[in-house]
Amino acid sequence: MTDRLENMALVMPGLLLLGLAFILPVLQMLVLSVSGPDGFTLEHFTRFLSDSYYLGILWRTVRLSALITLITALIGFPLAYIMAKSGPRLRLWLTLIVILPLMTSVVIRTFGWIVLLGRSGMIPSMLRDLGLVGRSFSIIQTESAIVIGMVQVLLPFMTLSVLGVVMSIDGRLEEAARTMGCSFMKTIRTVVLPLSLPGIVAGGLLVFTLSASSFVTPSLLGGSRIQVLAGSIYNAVTQTLEWEFAAAQAVILFVGVALVLVPYLSVTGRRNG
Amino acid sequence: MSEINLSDIHKSFGKVEVIPGVSFSVERGEFVSLLGPSGCGKTTLLRIVAGLETVSSGRVDIAGTDVTHLPPEKRDIAMMFQSYALLPHLSVAENVRFPLRMRGIGSRDEQNERVKTALDTVQLSHLGDRRARQLSGGQQQRVALARAIVSRPKVLLLDEPLSNLDARLREDMQVELIEIHKNLGLTTLFVTHDQEEALSLSDRIILIKGGRIEQEGTPAHIYAQPSTSFASQFLGSANMLSAVVEDTGSGPMAVLGDGQRLPLALDEAARGAVSLALRQEDLVLSDASDADNGAGLKAKVRARVYLGARNRYVLELAGASLRILTGNDQLFARGDDVSLTIAPERIRVLAP
Ligand SMILES: Nc1ncnc2c1ncn2[C@@H]1O[C@H](COP(=O)(O)OP(=O)(O)O)[C@@H](O)[C@H]1O
Ligand SMILES: [Mg+2]
Repeated sequence: MTDRLENMALVMPGLLLLGLAFILPVLQMLVLSVSGPDGFTLEHFTRFLSDSYYLGILWRTVRLSALITLITALIGFPLAYIMAKSGPRLRLWLTLIVILPLMTSVVIRTFGWIVLLGRSGMIPSMLRDLGLVGRSFSIIQTESAIVIGMVQVLLPFMTLSVLGVVMSIDGRLEEAARTMGCSFMKTIRTVVLPLSLPGIVAGGLLVFTLSASSFVTPSLLGGSRIQVLAGSIYNAVTQTLEWEFAAAQAVILFVGVALVLVPYLSVTGRRNG
Repeated sequence: MSEINLSDIHKSFGKVEVIPGVSFSVERGEFVSLLGPSGCGKTTLLRIVAGLETVSSGRVDIAGTDVTHLPPEKRDIAMMFQSYALLPHLSVAENVRFPLRMRGIGSRDEQNERVKTALDTVQLSHLGDRRARQLSGGQQQRVALARAIVSRPKVLLLDEPLSNLDARLREDMQVELIEIHKNLGLTTLFVTHDQEEALSLSDRIILIKGGRIEQEGTPAHIYAQPSTSFASQFLGSANMLSAVVEDTGSGPMAVLGDGQRLPLALDEAARGAVSLALRQEDLVLSDASDADNGAGLKAKVRARVYLGARNRYVLELAGASLRILTGNDQLFARGDDVSLTIAPERIRVLAP
């Protein structure tokens, strides 16, 4: 009994902080999203959901986030595996390199990409010089630019959460698989990958939610024509001053993310029983 | 033709040479134990046969084919790990099916049949649907064994498979291992540091010390005629005494450090400084008066350990300490003077 009381007392400050700093604003946002001049209304939601422009933004946000999650998993899993199998010194260096992007400001990092990807930037001119692409080729202000920039930022989240799980896999399981007829790649597929799934799921959750709600990188690399939901919310708050509409979009973003994540979690949760 | 053949295997980890040149072979259907103390390189040798460890130099043949540079999956082997290495994300039956699936052996139905047979062999068919981690240590060990035999490999490699089990289970599994080995006619290479296990299971024992072969032979031969003091100490925990062998009128005689004399077998050829290996169970303890009459060596009791059916004494003789096992019929106390006898033909005379 006293133990439980003690535990409660220890948890209280955290709960209070969470309540004040997170749940309260969310509630406020929910209320705002259904308020009109004459009290309760759903007009902000119907406005969003009946306008193909906004639906396109929602779809783009979900689609790009899913793509970014997939790419970070495709890069992050092998990277984490290599890091796990490296010696401690090399692993430390690799970890540093992986989290390096997180150490610079997001704005500065994104401007770096603008310099590299811009119309006269290094990468497009090189591709043009090599004759690989046409003269009108551009990366900046395309969805590709957003994906490239976001993958760089979010890769550490995927890599580190996979790394934790891969490190905990008993190396003898892989050896056992080899003695049972698995080639190296088959061992990865049949043993390492299934056992790493919890880490990939956790990393995927992080990457998906972070990219669905990210704002700076998509707006700087995608430009004003290629908007994502966070950018659209930002516009409603700062340009058109429609706070209720912004709140409704935020709720839709929240629900949209949840709609993707719930099936995802239930599928992977079942597999890990 | 031998099923496994290792010729002049050298293996170094960094600068440390763990296996400084080893050659041996295992015949088809033979059960051979690699026996030796912890750290002597047994596991390394087994992993070299499996292909999990590369060799620094030397050659490995399995079934007449040079496999030195083949990866493990291309060798027709199955290995059972000391830690069992069951795949935690698969059920027991899927674990046992795994080698069949990966090697593409048989149709789905044939695989089911084989999995069932293998699980029957280890008496676990009722647990096929469980997850591996839900089983007890002994059950996991049986699953690992079933998984190792299910693909009927040419060569079965076992790395201390019984060392994590308690005494009862271990004895049961020893019997089971022998039966499986005989029934399936598998060529088996078995690693252990337990001399009793090696003696009771093997057709042949290869005794390893410091990465080298110390002695090899059948259990009976290697136990009765250890050729080095290491062999006699490791197999049967013999007592070692230094002595000098002299000729006397009545045959060769060992003179101990304190001047006491011990008659040796008449055909004993060694002379000069030697080591005597005296088995615990061969030494007979009696009243000190016997030694005064010239029958036996004079020794002093340092300690007695009560073992239920038997007693173990630690004795002091010629500055060395001896351990002996006796029955309960005559008890001596710490500090008692006793007499020690041994049949001359039971004494092994070895190089010092
Ligand atoms: N991967 C490795 N790296 C460095 N040293 C090793 C490695 N594996 C084994 N050794 C060393 O090789 C020696 C023999 O090891 P091992 O074959 O495991 O002995 P055993 O199985 O007889 O106990 C030990 O001294 C061990 O420390
Ligand atoms: Mg070992």
